[in-house]
Amino acid sequence: MSVLVDENTKVVIQGITGKHGSHHTKLMLEYNAKVLAGVTPGKGGSEVYGVPVYDTVKEALEQHPDINASLIMVPPPGVLSAAEEAIENGIPLVVIVTEHVPVHDTLKIKWLAKEYGTIVIGPNTIGIISPGKSKVGIMPGYIYSQGNIGVISRSGTMTHEISSNLTYNGIGQSTCIGIGGDPVNGLTAVEALELFKDDDETKAIVLIGEIGGSNEELVAEYIEKTNYPKQVYAFIGGQLAPQGKRMGHAGAIVQKGKGTAASKMERLKKAGVKVAKTMDELVNMIKTDGYGNVETIQKHIS
Amino acid sequence: MYEIEGKAIFKSYGIPIPRGEKATTPEEAKEAAEKIGSEVVLKAQISSGGRGKAGVVKFAKTPDEAKALAEQLLGKEVKGETVKLLLVEEKINIAKELYLGITLDPELQKPVIIGCAEGGMDIEEVAEKHPEKIVKQPLEVLKPFKIHQANDFMRQLGFHGKQLVQAGKILYGLVRVYFDYDATTVEINPLVITGDNEIIAADSKLVVDDSSSYRHPDLPWERLNENLKPLEKEAKEAGFPFVLLENNGYIGIIGGGAGVGLATMDTIYHHGGIPANFLDTGGGVTRERMAKALEVVLKTPGVKGVIANLFGGINNCAIMAQGIVDVLEKHKVDIPIVVKMRGHHQEEGWKLLEKYNVPLIKYGSTDEAAELLMKLVRERSAGNVSVG
Repeated sequence: MSVLVDENTKVVIQGITGKHGSHHTKLMLEYNAKVLAGVTPGKGGSEVYGVPVYDTVKEALEQHPDINASLIMVPPPGVLSAAEEAIENGIPLVVIVTEHVPVHDTLKIKWLAKEYGTIVIGPNTIGIISPGKSKVGIMPGYIYSQGNIGVISRSGTMTHEISSNLTYNGIGQSTCIGIGGDPVNGLTAVEALELFKDDDETKAIVLIGEIGGSNEELVAEYIEKTNYPKQVYAFIGGQLAPQGKRMGHAGAIVQKGKGTAASKMERLKKAGVKVAKTMDELVNMIKTDGYGNVETIQKHIS
Repeated sequence: MYEIEGKAIFKSYGIPIPRGEKATTPEEAKEAAEKIGSEVVLKAQISSGGRGKAGVVKFAKTPDEAKALAEQLLGKEVKGETVKLLLVEEKINIAKELYLGITLDPELQKPVIIGCAEGGMDIEEVAEKHPEKIVKQPLEVLKPFKIHQANDFMRQLGFHGKQLVQAGKILYGLVRVYFDYDATTVEINPLVITGDNEIIAADSKLVVDDSSSYRHPDLPWERLNENLKPLEKEAKEAGFPFVLLENNGYIGIIGGGAGVGLATMDTIYHHGGIPANFLDTGGGVTRERMAKALEVVLKTPGVKGVIANLFGGINNCAIMAQGIVDVLEKHKVDIPIVVKMRGHHQEEGWKLLEKYNVPLIKYGSTDEAAELLMKLVRERSAGNVSVG
């Protein structure tokens, strides 16, 4: 098993005819992800790398009833409408890659998804990958490898960073989820942790956090409340960030001693999380605890 | 947004505001005071808060005094901003001050209305010391907010009868402003009850989500860049989040995302370096934009070395490498640039960087990249850099 995405994930790409949409269709296919259809209103009848394009999600579903995930790669002004279309047509997993989506649109998407029981990942995310099985996202598949560590991160590039460092150290991943870097996300870190709880393939979880917000505090609370059965490891970025400097992510800002790296690390430790000071230490901790599965190291690393 | 702009929007949504006029010269301030015909308050229009403490809110009893005070205020420097615009307003007779605002609650992942029967001060401080004095209520984003909900909220702040109807209208208007303008925060601090029992918004704060700028072309977006330092402006115009960090910093940081930028910054400190800046490339990096990113970081005063921690996710390693070598071709770069790059089209990107002898980390960690950069910087400056 893995969470949310596996060999049976069948994807529709909304915005497939765009520059990013078409390029990542090719990369998804190269990773053996099952991309059944694409949707761009007005481009119905065309093809992108052999994938048929439809005008609407409904039509794509009529032709390909097995579709069970959507990857949204449309520019910000079109995201709300694309997400509503995917959610209201009953697609259970919707991944929104687009950055700079207005937060009011994300709010509407998030709460509409709750009404429909849809899992939305993002926006402003690299998506989700179950290495060796499939991906719904834009991550380079070969820096990830199959194994038993679940990865949760707000930051896309940190997901690449930590997952590739694990890979190069012979530690594979079950599923890696970029929950998105915006102040409002579909799937939250706590919900992602909940998904990993019941996945037999996932033996331990890595949480990659950062300063600002209250994501890590909520995770710590959840771990205590549920007596979480699996070991969680964490790394918090921005431990030495100058106070009060906004570092790009909305919300990655420290105010009045709240949301500092130190307070987050302390809180997570209190909940039994193994907290690393550096990224290298994080990998070493996991290695020392015997989670490596050396045979997963990618062949092309000589 | 300036108070005067926020107030104009509030007024159009039925929120009462004091009578006021704008003034850009002392003469205009005098005319405004004459028109208002009572004691006035002159408020400097700047983006940052804390104007009272900065001494740029002044009271004038006569139009001549208004003119004299305007002379003092206009052109004054406050927190790096120059005062160019004044709001001249009738002086309100204050009987009571309250706080009313709407902001995004990251824990609930919903907007919340926040009210407090004690306004005019630092609401965060009140919230910390006396949480029981704060009234909070989440807003459901998929259901329109109703007048009766507004009335029931304001009832909790002590309003009743005829005044409650007035107060409810104000909150109802504020909620509509919040949604119509893609706001992340709207605030009335203070919301004033006057000696004549009128309710009036004595100040306005309206912060609009940058990502929604395409929907609000009439708002003063270009002013966001007015108070930036030239380098910050250059980065912003190219669409990059960019932060100048420590004045004594000498390491430039380019991150493929904010998260990795934060972690790279930590790593540089761990290896005894001091970061001078941080630039986040984000997605959609073209050859030209990559070159621009590196140029901005190299131009930062005092930079003796650059670390670029890049990923080909939505971006393409070959294109990013192109942008980097374009800079090396165009400028005489004589400081080390260590590139750690992996992801889509990495082989092509690596090959190009190797051709130009750019120090490259392929499979190593950020720690290794930072260590290599610090070593190269130390070698080049042969002990001239004081390393913490």
